[in-house]
Amino acid sequence: MKFALFTGCVAKGATRELMLSTMKSAEGLGIEFIEMKSAACCGAGVVSEKNPLLADALNARSIAIAEEQDLDLVTICSTCQGILKKTESHVDSDPAYKEKVNNVLEEGGHHYAGGKIKIQHFANVLGTEEGLKLLRDKVKRPLTGLKTAAFYGCYVLRPSGLSLYEDPDNPTGMEEIFEILGATPVYYDSRTKCCGFPIIMMNKNASHDMAGNALIDAIDSGADCVVTGCPLCHLSLDAYQPEIDRMNKKGCSIPILHLPQLVALALGYSPQELGMDKHIISTTRLDEILA
Amino acid sequence: MIKHDIVIVGSGLAGMRAALEVCEGLDVAILSKVYPTRSHSGAAQGGIAASLGNSEPDSWEEHLYDTVKGGDFLNDQDAVEEYVKAAPRVIYELEHFGCVFSRTPDGKIAQRSFGGHSKPRACFSADRTGHAILHALHEQLLKRSKSIKIYSEWYMHSLVLDGDRCNGIVVSDIRTGAVEVMQARAVIFATGGYGRVFNITSNAFASTADGVMAAFRAGIPLEDAEFVQYHPSGLYRQGILFSEAARGEGGYLLNGEGERFMEKYAPSRMELAPRDIVARAEQSEMDAGRGVDGKDIIHLDLRHLGEARIMERLPQIRQLGIDFIGVDCVKDPLPIQPTAHYSMGGIPTDKFGQVITDAEGTHVKGFFAAGECSCVSVHGANRLGTNSLLEAVVFGERAGKSAFEYAKTVDHAPVNESHEKTKVLEQFEGIFQQNGDESYNDIRNQMKKVMTENCSVFREEKQLKTCIETIEKLQEKFKNGKITDKGKLFNTEIYEILELENMLAMAEIIAKGALDRKESRGGHYRIDYPKRDDKNFLKHSLAYKTDDGIEIKHKPVVITKHQPAERTY
Amino acid sequence: MITFKIKRYNPEKQAEPYFEDFKLDVQEDLTLLDCMNKIKWTLDGSLTYRMSCRSAICGSCAVKVNGHATLACQRQAAHLAKDDTIVLEPLGNMKPIKDLAVDFKPFWDKIDKVKPYLQPKQKAPEKERVQSPEQFKLIDDSSTCIMCGACHSDCNVLEVDENFLGPAALAKAQRFVQDSRDGKTLERVKNLSKPGGIWDCTHCGECVERCPKPARPFDRIKEIMTVALEQGVTNNNGARHALSFAKSVKSSGRLNENIIPVESVGFFNFKGLFDLLPVGLRMFFKGKNPPILHKSIDEVEDVKRIYMELDE
Repeated sequence: MKFALFTGCVAKGATRELMLSTMKSAEGLGIEFIEMKSAACCGAGVVSEKNPLLADALNARSIAIAEEQDLDLVTICSTCQGILKKTESHVDSDPAYKEKVNNVLEEGGHHYAGGKIKIQHFANVLGTEEGLKLLRDKVKRPLTGLKTAAFYGCYVLRPSGLSLYEDPDNPTGMEEIFEILGATPVYYDSRTKCCGFPIIMMNKNASHDMAGNALIDAIDSGADCVVTGCPLCHLSLDAYQPEIDRMNKKGCSIPILHLPQLVALALGYSPQELGMDKHIISTTRLDEILA
Repeated sequence: MIKHDIVIVGSGLAGMRAALEVCEGLDVAILSKVYPTRSHSGAAQGGIAASLGNSEPDSWEEHLYDTVKGGDFLNDQDAVEEYVKAAPRVIYELEHFGCVFSRTPDGKIAQRSFGGHSKPRACFSADRTGHAILHALHEQLLKRSKSIKIYSEWYMHSLVLDGDRCNGIVVSDIRTGAVEVMQARAVIFATGGYGRVFNITSNAFASTADGVMAAFRAGIPLEDAEFVQYHPSGLYRQGILFSEAARGEGGYLLNGEGERFMEKYAPSRMELAPRDIVARAEQSEMDAGRGVDGKDIIHLDLRHLGEARIMERLPQIRQLGIDFIGVDCVKDPLPIQPTAHYSMGGIPTDKFGQVITDAEGTHVKGFFAAGECSCVSVHGANRLGTNSLLEAVVFGERAGKSAFEYAKTVDHAPVNESHEKTKVLEQFEGIFQQNGDESYNDIRNQMKKVMTENCSVFREEKQLKTCIETIEKLQEKFKNGKITDKGKLFNTEIYEILELENMLAMAEIIAKGALDRKESRGGHYRIDYPKRDDKNFLKHSLAYKTDDGIEIKHKPVVITKHQPAERTY
Repeated sequence: MITFKIKRYNPEKQAEPYFEDFKLDVQEDLTLLDCMNKIKWTLDGSLTYRMSCRSAICGSCAVKVNGHATLACQRQAAHLAKDDTIVLEPLGNMKPIKDLAVDFKPFWDKIDKVKPYLQPKQKAPEKERVQSPEQFKLIDDSSTCIMCGACHSDCNVLEVDENFLGPAALAKAQRFVQDSRDGKTLERVKNLSKPGGIWDCTHCGECVERCPKPARPFDRIKEIMTVALEQGVTNNNGARHALSFAKSVKSSGRLNENIIPVESVGFFNFKGLFDLLPVGLRMFFKGKNPPILHKSIDEVEDVKRIYMELDE
């Protein structure tokens, strides 16, 4: 398995532990990731607020870069995944628009073909038959006793037509991975909801309330930790957790993991190797469960 | 007692347009048993007619002739003339209100061909024209929210008529069950049609004859009730409308043998002949065993239009096919059959929206009507497509104007509140107390079945008599029903029962009118009297409530420019 | 055989809602509304819900099915069943009156707030105002909205903040913001940029997912954002955030997460900056803060070129 890795900005910035654990789990599984060093930010749906064509052009360029390497593209961020799929859909559905976009890319030496490569989230790759088999074969330290709650991130689920999950209203892809890693998946209603990150600068209270509701739901459903495929969700649920009013009133907290961290833990890597000591909410409670 | 200057019952196109006409200077209320944007006007798809001439040169004279010929010469031509003359101004006004219209390349309101019209004069908004106009008027209503009070989810039970003067209505709040009398100087009905008496209908569940029956019970006759339009393209078994616009854009009608059978029935207009002719053609093919797979199905074939045109002009129809029957009209033909669609008949009015009560045109003071619930008559024996949206807006405005002028000249008249309230309260109580063993649902289904089988596209004396007998038996059974929900809070069950009572009465009037009219004209076709009989039946019917049942009198047709001629397409 | 688990509620009888099961044999082509009617008309006449056209145009019959809002008449019941069960609840973010019927007044109040009627540029001409097919296209999608409330029901922000205008009101606002005949664009986007408006949308996509028509409210909200930025309405965190984001990508191809929060709240917004301190310090002490020396992507010149070409 060899992929072009679209890292996204946050894995290189505020959540470098995501990048670290992604490379570790790739190493442990024998997956080869070629980092797309010249791919620009996906725009996160924010650049398109200013200029939709610009956002699509930048993303079509990124997809073209992977096409040129003849490699499927893998994202490690739900937001990047959703945004790239949106661009793919916009450009593929309108030949005149596609031509417009390619006219812009040409001068830089790129051409978006469309339909040549797959754009998948790391969780989708692991969820394929081949991916699941790899996991089964390579698990060294089954995460027995660890109750894990998935938090998918809006952009990999909606709009459902662009989601790679079979039933985006009731996805099970991440939970299937948890089971193979030996953990016990916890199902709860809020796992498909929004973490509130997009409005953290605009409406802090609403943002925190959304995150808080999701976390309390996970805790009440018996989870030891929340595992997410999106570093923006991670920031909202972890870095901002001490400020979440609803959690403080309840006097509770819960550690948040990136999906690759969970995978790498099961492959035998230590929490320190995976940057888990960088988290705002301490993950030491999990060491006890895994011991 | 609630008091307003003008009360409008029904908040579709006609009702809302009337409200906009009367709200400057008078205290106006508009009342509907559903929230205004849920009104059935929104379901109209194809277009609204006007001789704008944006696509081809056109004139009101041609629109007049097409409408009168389409109505099989039963229309009152003086009214039709004023109505078609008003059309262009009315369309421009809607556009000025902000209504979203599909446009020509040079930015004018686009117009398309439609059944029975000799020129493309249907102004449209994709295939959601009724929806577009409904929302444009609703927006204007919201703009004037300080001048127009909306009573949403209130039911109108009866008219308060004192001699020849209307003084208000008796209503109840569906949410609380509270009964109230609304005293008014003038009342306008814009309550829509009654397709729900039939099994296969395009109409919403709300189209249950409440307004027309309130007028009828108050002693006002119903005009031309036997004229019901069966729209040719209703979804098979469900009746959901597939707009005539599909044929306007070039769609074909095919029988089970893949033939464009309209060649035999209307060789010059083909699929764009008036609806009654197309519906009869379809029914004839199906009755002769030439339906698709031998069933009562005709194919509406749009494949040759191509996906781009369908997505631009008929996107909603495509989605309806996919959602309701799993057929994508880009790839496969749609299965259709005739569906009860429009009520040409209704409360008789003059051409100003003033309700009249006899052939001489005696006014019912303070009572006005507009839209499908009225009969002016601009449609005669058969309505052309796109003429109903026009009727609603033109006569909503006219009835509003008439009501406004009248209301300025009178004061409120006294109303015996407790007497009026008691009648309705007793009706409620009666239903609550009934402990019979008949199922209202079964009664409703049997009514719909007998009407569809015996009083629809093709009618005949024996069948009509069976129909009337059955309806009378069902009315007896109705007195032996039993209600489940005896609460007051949002009791939708009891309102469905009141609606059923209205529908049974309406069904009887339609069937009796059909029995009485021994000729075929427009939407009313008698197998035993297949020809049009101008000598004996070039007249409107007026069905009255008497102690001995329904009595049918007649009213002359106003003929000005066009003498009745042979109607072929 | 499908079991319908329906949330009943009748404050006349008891204060709390409860679930009641109804079993029905459901043929292939029955819609969910057909089933609800069958239950009401043959099993329990007191089951209360709204419905009218049954052809997906009046917007009366939106309900929550298995946790998500949908139009009951538009969906085949057999396709909705999960393990032969369908759970029916009233729409979310609205107070139930009885069973599946909810109070729509707050919904209509929000629609009112966006001045949902044309405010024309000039006096009306004698005939129609000219509007090109391209201009029609801009408002075509939002004009398909049937006000069913499904988007409002499932909006993640409305769940926690009832001050938010919500997707339906904002989509309706776009219908006028981008109507070439309307003369109040600047005023509209100014109002829509205030707290509770477009910048409070969290992009969760629920509204687009649940909308039974092509209205796609979230796409409409983004269109308003673009117009607001074009019109220079930028004195708010949401607009500043978008501009800072775009600027960062232009200069380095990536987000500079140290600068963006500061530029979003505004350099002189001392309170806003102060509010950022806790999370900033927290991350600093954990070594989580983004590197101060911000590296560009490879070939960043190509990105700058694209910006020059597409974004003045």
